[in-house]
Amino acid sequence: MPETTSLPGQTHFVAPSSETPLQATGMVDTSAPPEGQWKEAWKVLRRNWLFWVSAILLLFILVVVCFPGLFTGVDPRQSMLSKSLQGPQSGHPFGFDKQGYDVYSRVVYGARASVVVGLLTTVIVTVIGLFTGAVAGFFGRWVDALVSRIADIFFAIPLLLAAIVGLSALNNVWPDRGYWGGVLAVVFALAAFGWPQVTRIARGAVLEIRGLEFVDASRAIGASKWRNLFSHIIPNSLAPVIVTATVSLGVYIVAEATLSFLGIGLPPSIVSWGNDIAAAQSQVRSGDNLHVLFAPAGALAVTVLSFMLLGDAVRDALDPKARK
Amino acid sequence: MWRYIARRLLQTIPVVLGSTLLIYAMVFLQPGDPIVALFGEKPVSEATRAQLMAQYNLDQPFIVQWLLFLKGALVGDFGIAYSGQPVSELIARALPVTFQLAVMALIFEAVLGVVAGFYAGLRRGKIFDSTMLVVSLIVIAVPIFVLGFMMQLVFGIQLQWVPATVGSNTSFTNMILPALVLGLVSFAYVLRLTRTSVIENLTADHVRTARAHGVPDGMVNRRHVLRNSMIPVVTFLGADLGALMAGAVVTEGIFNINGIGNLAYQAILRGENPTVVSVVTVMVIIYVVTSLLVDLLYAVLDPRIRYA
Amino acid sequence: MRTRRIMTITAGVSAAALLLSGCGGGGDDGGGSGGGDGDMIINARGLEPQNPLIPTSTNEVGGGRIVDLLYAGLVSYTSEGETEMEVADSIESEDNKTWTVKLKDGWTFSDGSAVTANSFVDAWNYGADPENAQLGAYFFYPIEGTTDDGTFEEGADGISGLNVEDDSTFTVTLKDPASDFPDRLGYSSYFPLPEAAFDDPEAFGEAPIGNGPYTLDGWDHDTEARLLANDDYDGNRDPQNDGVTFKFYTDPDAAYTDVQSGVLDVLDEVPTSAISTFTTDDQLQAFNDPGPISTNVTIPDSLEHFGDDEEGKLRRQAISHAIDRGEITSQIFDDTYSPATDFSSPVMPDYSDDIEGSDVLDFDPEKARDLWNQANQISDFDGTFEVSFNADGSGNAEWVEAVTNQLRENLQISAEPKPFATFGEYRELITNRSIGTAFRSGWQPDYPSVYNYLAAVFGTGAGSNDGDYSNPDFDAALVRAASSQDEDERKDALNEAQTILFEDLPAIPLWDRNSYGVAAQGIEGVEMNWQAQPTYHTITK
Repeated sequence: MPETTSLPGQTHFVAPSSETPLQATGMVDTSAPPEGQWKEAWKVLRRNWLFWVSAILLLFILVVVCFPGLFTGVDPRQSMLSKSLQGPQSGHPFGFDKQGYDVYSRVVYGARASVVVGLLTTVIVTVIGLFTGAVAGFFGRWVDALVSRIADIFFAIPLLLAAIVGLSALNNVWPDRGYWGGVLAVVFALAAFGWPQVTRIARGAVLEIRGLEFVDASRAIGASKWRNLFSHIIPNSLAPVIVTATVSLGVYIVAEATLSFLGIGLPPSIVSWGNDIAAAQSQVRSGDNLHVLFAPAGALAVTVLSFMLLGDAVRDALDPKARK
Repeated sequence: MWRYIARRLLQTIPVVLGSTLLIYAMVFLQPGDPIVALFGEKPVSEATRAQLMAQYNLDQPFIVQWLLFLKGALVGDFGIAYSGQPVSELIARALPVTFQLAVMALIFEAVLGVVAGFYAGLRRGKIFDSTMLVVSLIVIAVPIFVLGFMMQLVFGIQLQWVPATVGSNTSFTNMILPALVLGLVSFAYVLRLTRTSVIENLTADHVRTARAHGVPDGMVNRRHVLRNSMIPVVTFLGADLGALMAGAVVTEGIFNINGIGNLAYQAILRGENPTVVSVVTVMVIIYVVTSLLVDLLYAVLDPRIRYA
Repeated sequence: MRTRRIMTITAGVSAAALLLSGCGGGGDDGGGSGGGDGDMIINARGLEPQNPLIPTSTNEVGGGRIVDLLYAGLVSYTSEGETEMEVADSIESEDNKTWTVKLKDGWTFSDGSAVTANSFVDAWNYGADPENAQLGAYFFYPIEGTTDDGTFEEGADGISGLNVEDDSTFTVTLKDPASDFPDRLGYSSYFPLPEAAFDDPEAFGEAPIGNGPYTLDGWDHDTEARLLANDDYDGNRDPQNDGVTFKFYTDPDAAYTDVQSGVLDVLDEVPTSAISTFTTDDQLQAFNDPGPISTNVTIPDSLEHFGDDEEGKLRRQAISHAIDRGEITSQIFDDTYSPATDFSSPVMPDYSDDIEGSDVLDFDPEKARDLWNQANQISDFDGTFEVSFNADGSGNAEWVEAVTNQLRENLQISAEPKPFATFGEYRELITNRSIGTAFRSGWQPDYPSVYNYLAAVFGTGAGSNDGDYSNPDFDAALVRAASSQDEDERKDALNEAQTILFEDLPAIPLWDRNSYGVAAQGIEGVEMNWQAQPTYHTITK
């Protein structure tokens, strides 16, 4: 927190900073707090065991994503149809799915597409949404109207329907796109219609922050609007955005599964948890061989859990108001 | 206030225009020939084809198709579906069903989400909070169609507490299970948003002040913490009604509900552009109206926000 | 007609659910007026008709099964696929080219008007008029005065090959001789229409008036269509119940659940999720018998390395030998499909089980490798063998993936499924010949004959010859079959035609879909006909 904010009401007595010698020090003051804030946050994070648990889990998942070959020697696309739906056995700890694929190997190799879809979509959505939301909430007036209306145009079209239509339109303009092309197409389709959600949350948070004293204070001492936006408004409105982002990360991974369930997500040549959960849905009804469902769904749940716990820990650390 | 509402209503015009144009562009870019699809795997003669293309304006340039659609939509005429029925009739049949489903889901997620989130926030780190964290995680991490099938299997088929499917009888009891399934994911959102806001507000100055003044804990929690925590939650809920109606595709399929989600999904599969665009337009209008209401609620909840 | 995906709704709808149905069969219950005592209404699974309920407008199963019960054509089919005269008294020809149709007396539409020669000729002319853009027009293509697509030339005022002699007689002149022409006339496009239909076809399509075993009592869109037994009907398909209500389910899982709980009586399909359990489910009755719907993978000969030459032939045979059909039908389909034994189906009346060359369908991975390597001597294959399919929740994804897995494994090549999100996209690429890969194909017969499987799909220039296959010897064998008056001679010609196909393999036969479904307990008389449809009029409870 800037020192000035600890003196509420003092802003009344301060002349416009351009007219006082305070201008020079004001510039330093406004940029310093965030740095202190992040340093402070790290101190808090270090003491949070949840942070370490989730960070280690995520690190592990990241290794699986980058080097799946370290964890299994079985080709996830090697089909042994005669062993279709058989349970765990030697060398195949999770058994086989309907196509006769090794479920364990599918879980290991499936991490990549699912995590990349979730992570990349969330990053794109959060960056666009945070920036647009902050600008809209902070500048208000016609800027708010313009940004909000553009966001509305995208947000008003339902995500799932938009993604279905968008993906098949992408098929037309971008056929034969291979592994990463297939993954990116899903990311683009989800991100194109997902960002306004973050915009709304960020705008709401900024509207709240804008009224707080320290913002008035830093404005009073002459910080430029943009500087104010980046050094005070955005960092201080991060908390709800991070919470939304960590939750929606899971939602995007699941959305990929739903798109696959509807037959339009990742092509079958791409091994992903989403495709495998979708393929396992026929087992749910019969209630048999649920291992083909629980393995990818469990991996997905653990991954989402890790991101959510990390998000919680970071939010607690970043938001001094919520700190114990 | 009235000037604000009037201005917002004016602003909805570009949103509706922009959204229909966007969806029209994407539909236009769709691969596939709807006329060919109409004939299945049988051949179609050129004369028949030309006849149908003209009938559905498919022979017009993209912008002209869009303008023709807008012209019709202004007077409630969304064109004719390939089945020969007016699209507006299809929507009129499907919309109330989905609306009922979405509203029930919204009430469910709002009530349960806020209550659970509020207590989880007040008792941060305790058993209840941790349990809710796990519940919200499961809901988010397991795809809705898996949860839907499982709940249908358990409550509809094994326990037989509710009918497993809805069909044409959309009574309240028939719709409870689908509404629960539909609202599950948003329930997790509401829960977490409420919890986060409550935790923030618990340490806010005005709350501490109130406590210092000896206001009883229960009243502080209700009057100050809960009310101030509602701002992000209400934003979310307002935006969610439209999302629920659109997200009903999967739920409506599982429980055999003839709603708008099913209508839209089938129309996409058939390349039935007039229906796709019309359904999306209706959803856009619903969204625009609900988000205006949300912004007005904002002002009620947060006295610091005033609209000129 | 072929397996159509256009109507597919949600995941789990299996391919055959979307097929157009023709007539229900079963004329074995004698005459007599319809309807029993009390209110025996059968609740059957239906799908919301996608088109007005005019016979030529309907080309999908949802409307097709209703239309079949509302109208009676010149002939009807038994559930085994034998043709019986219905409205026609006789259909005769000297040369298999000009046919004289004589009608029985006493047939009326449910509005009281008589069924005359004009009822048929006017209905067919309506269907073939390009201005009416009827989806079922294709079926008129054999008749003189129509294009290959079945519509008559613009400017003409009707099909020139049709001629009304008197109220109960008309003649049909064909472009080419076809000995099985009478067998085709049970298809819904050939149904008659009353005068009332032409005044306001739009209103008629919502409330049709027919001459069949049932009348339409009401159609609540997206909910149900209620059919009541027609007391005035005196044809081959005497209703054993008082009515059939088709309840529209977009999701087969929901329908299946309702059969389990007795809300729904008959479901002519089983959701993927119950496929491995339905035959042992004691909450319901299960049906699972060989059926007419064949599945193939068509390899167009425009595909590089698969041309009309020695290399192409070797590769096609290698692919056929590399697919373990039995393993896929048991593991992926849980025995609801049966490995193909020819290009048609065992339920056709003129089916043969010992056609020369059919051993190319046997699984033999070593021979497959050997043939593939021989082909590689001619020209090296280093690409990816792709199989395109429509992935709109139609249940194709699983078997296409299994097939490409086997090809990858057994031929040691790169092979991948290639999904298309919508049926429209998939069909367009096939129709304009730009798909550039092998693709899923299939056939459900329009009328019960092996000839239909062969001529409509593989005849040179035939309407559904999507692989552009052309072989003069094959065409000649078909002509011999079509013009033959002798049953054995006809069968020999058809077998010879199939032997040629087994050599050329324009498409790789994979399997036939069984006619399977479920009925609630206490339901009787459920019989699957040659079109994989329950014979609704025989069902009782």
